[in-house]
Amino acid sequence: MVIAAAVLAGGCASPKTSYVEADSSRLITTVEGINIQDFAQAADAMTASLIDNFINPGLLKSGVPGEPALMAISRIVNSTGQQLDTDMLIKKIRVTLLRTGKVQTSTTVAFGGVEDPLVAELGGAPKRRPDYTLSGKIIEDRTRAGKVRQSSYIFQLALSSLDGIAVWEDERIIVKQGSRPSVGF
Amino acid sequence: MIAKSIALLLLVSLTGAGCRSTRVNTVEPSESAAQREVVEDRRIVKDRSLSKAVRVIGLNVAAGQEGFLKIQVEVENTSRSLKSFTCSVEWFDENGIFIDLPTANARPRSIEGGEILSITATAPTPRAKDFRIKFLEPVTK
Repeated sequence: MVIAAAVLAGGCASPKTSYVEADSSRLITTVEGINIQDFAQAADAMTASLIDNFINPGLLKSGVPGEPALMAISRIVNSTGQQLDTDMLIKKIRVTLLRTGKVQTSTTVAFGGVEDPLVAELGGAPKRRPDYTLSGKIIEDRTRAGKVRQSSYIFQLALSSLDGIAVWEDERIIVKQGSRPSVGF
Repeated sequence: MIAKSIALLLLVSLTGAGCRSTRVNTVEPSESAAQREVVEDRRIVKDRSLSKAVRVIGLNVAAGQEGFLKIQVEVENTSRSLKSFTCSVEWFDENGIFIDLPTANARPRSIEGGEILSITATAPTPRAKDFRIKFLEPVTK
């Protein structure tokens, strides 16, 4: 009787909480929303594309010889039905580009206002104009067949020179199918 | 009679429920025009069923003008059905130290039966001189 009760109680207990590596295959995946691993995948694919098609062939130009090129963040439109912070995508790209040693990002010149108001206040007007701006859009498409739901998240980014020319563009589509959330995929 | 009918029904439902094999037919030039820099690889296989479904054919590397490495691993699904897996790439500098990145992720991929798939990755920095590619079966709870 006691054993049966213990077994029953054990079976009904909710799973314990544990830490999971942010880049592991054991993260919760949902069809309804963009998960953190989706942002990481999109950012990874976008930085790889930018390096492959623009930086590695030597097309990136800096306004100050010997210095990394300067990039400003322009409008990143969220066209999904979800409330999300676009920095989930853009910050990863910025950090990775900074670590290439080829690109830096302005914290005082950005669409929608300065990112670091104290630098803008202490440093005065920006001394250097950006060489490039990064703009983009996140789009969502949903469909279903019976119980199976499918969500597609389309990440679009463009790097523009100050002449208004898109010198690099790419699109990454993440498609998820399922009927309920799961851990893993 | 009833037992026979149930067994037949079960067989029919199993056949129709995802057990159907799908195999890919491919065509390519008999002589490749591309010059591949193939690197010798060292494989550590802990999951034999995965290594059959995602069999590594070869690994090649190219470096661009600015020194970023680009790698490509070709895998073949030697089984008869679709296989899902994740693939992740780790980069190391000239001292063999792991390069940590915010974009690190386990990319979900799938490969049809008999399909050959090319998986590419680009080094995040010119400092990246070495790499490790990891494959894992789907993890679901």
